[in-house]
Amino acid sequence: MAGEIAIGDVDARAHPLQAKAQLGVQLQTTSFHSSLTLVEIVRLYAGLYGVTLTSAQIRELLVQINLQKEASKRFRELSGGQQQRFSLLIATIHDPALVLLDEPTAGLDPQARRQLWDRIERFRKEGRSILLTTHSMEEAQAVCDRVAIMDHGKILTVGTPAALIASYRDDPKVRQAAHGEVTLEDVFIALTGRELRD
Amino acid sequence: MAVPTWSSSLKVLVRADGTAQVRTPLSLVITFALPLILLVATGLGKNSAALGGPEFRISLALTVGLVSIGTVGYSLAIARDRDAGVFQRLRVTPAPTWTIMVSRWIVQLGAVLIMAIVVLVVAAVVAGVTLPPQDYLLTVLVALLGSAVFLSIGQAIVGLIASADTLNAAGRLLYLPLIGLSLFGDTDRLGTTVEMVSRWSPGGCLETLLSAAMGATTWSGQLWGPLFASFGYTVLFAVIGIRWFRWVSR
Repeated sequence: MAGEIAIGDVDARAHPLQAKAQLGVQLQTTSFHSSLTLVEIVRLYAGLYGVTLTSAQIRELLVQINLQKEASKRFRELSGGQQQRFSLLIATIHDPALVLLDEPTAGLDPQARRQLWDRIERFRKEGRSILLTTHSMEEAQAVCDRVAIMDHGKILTVGTPAALIASYRDDPKVRQAAHGEVTLEDVFIALTGRELRD
Repeated sequence: MAVPTWSSSLKVLVRADGTAQVRTPLSLVITFALPLILLVATGLGKNSAALGGPEFRISLALTVGLVSIGTVGYSLAIARDRDAGVFQRLRVTPAPTWTIMVSRWIVQLGAVLIMAIVVLVVAAVVAGVTLPPQDYLLTVLVALLGSAVFLSIGQAIVGLIASADTLNAAGRLLYLPLIGLSLFGDTDRLGTTVEMVSRWSPGGCLETLLSAAMGATTWSGQLWGPLFASFGYTVLFAVIGIRWFRWVSR
């Protein structure tokens, strides 16, 4: 494997634990201890990041994501949207400099997706860096400052959503893919092809 | 941001894993119900004496508890959490990876300790078997050694089998021979070959040591064999379990 990964001034390969301490991660399919309540999971992950929280502070965090009534429930008892909100809370419980979000809105209804976008936008305004992977170009266009379109592990193009649309607008493949106004998805289809992926 | 110490990570993991263990009905049945039922059941019936004396019944109950905790409870819990992605989530935190597994072992050792004490108390109350204080201590220590043997077998199972469903089936298949072999270490009713295999099986070695710890036999040179065999089983299966263990199921 070539290249280097640095989180702030931490070499992630040389100091993986220090790098992990700077990262907030929301995995695509997240699961927590099935027998623990939300409060206990918050306490566990706060402890793993060296954050001490009182019961009142944990309650306040759950209020912020509108899960205060679910405090005694197990993670599996939550709806998809609630699970994603909770996972995002856990990912940012230590106020990380960089947040990695792996398809955070996959399988969510439009309301839950918009709510999550609002939270991502709030993180961005708070000055955090966010690295988001998604198959939804609508999502990329809505929440990302800069988009890298990747295919088979290679970056095909990088730019702001508006700049990418502008620079590929007149490409014949993009015109062919577009249904009316050119979108980021049309650019994506034109660059990666129409074949179905596994 | 500072990285938390490994001891603080281990502490919060043990607390979470311990809470999860106590809240899992299957683990409670495995830890307490099976050994106690066996302890009482083997004392019933006119042929019960043929299996061995009261110390043998207690050591059998303890062995069943240890086999159940290690090969069924522990391995299944690990496989299910692995399938669900619990380990994957924990591994992106700054906790050292080894603390995630050591926490599970500490909780299992705690369960074994409590199970051994409960079995010994019930044996004293129901079967009237009491031991001198040093024998109680020795019995608990041997039970902890036994838990190392069977946890390492559980680790090997979960290291070699990727899916929780397959592991569930394999664990049940292994469970019966391990228990069955433990039953006939003190009797030649099924022939001397079965007795010999039984005596040197992981459960058989453990029972020999437990019986000695409870004062049924005096400590002699013959006990070094089962003791070294138990250490050998632990190292062998732990190496297999750790070498082939995968944190994700696919």
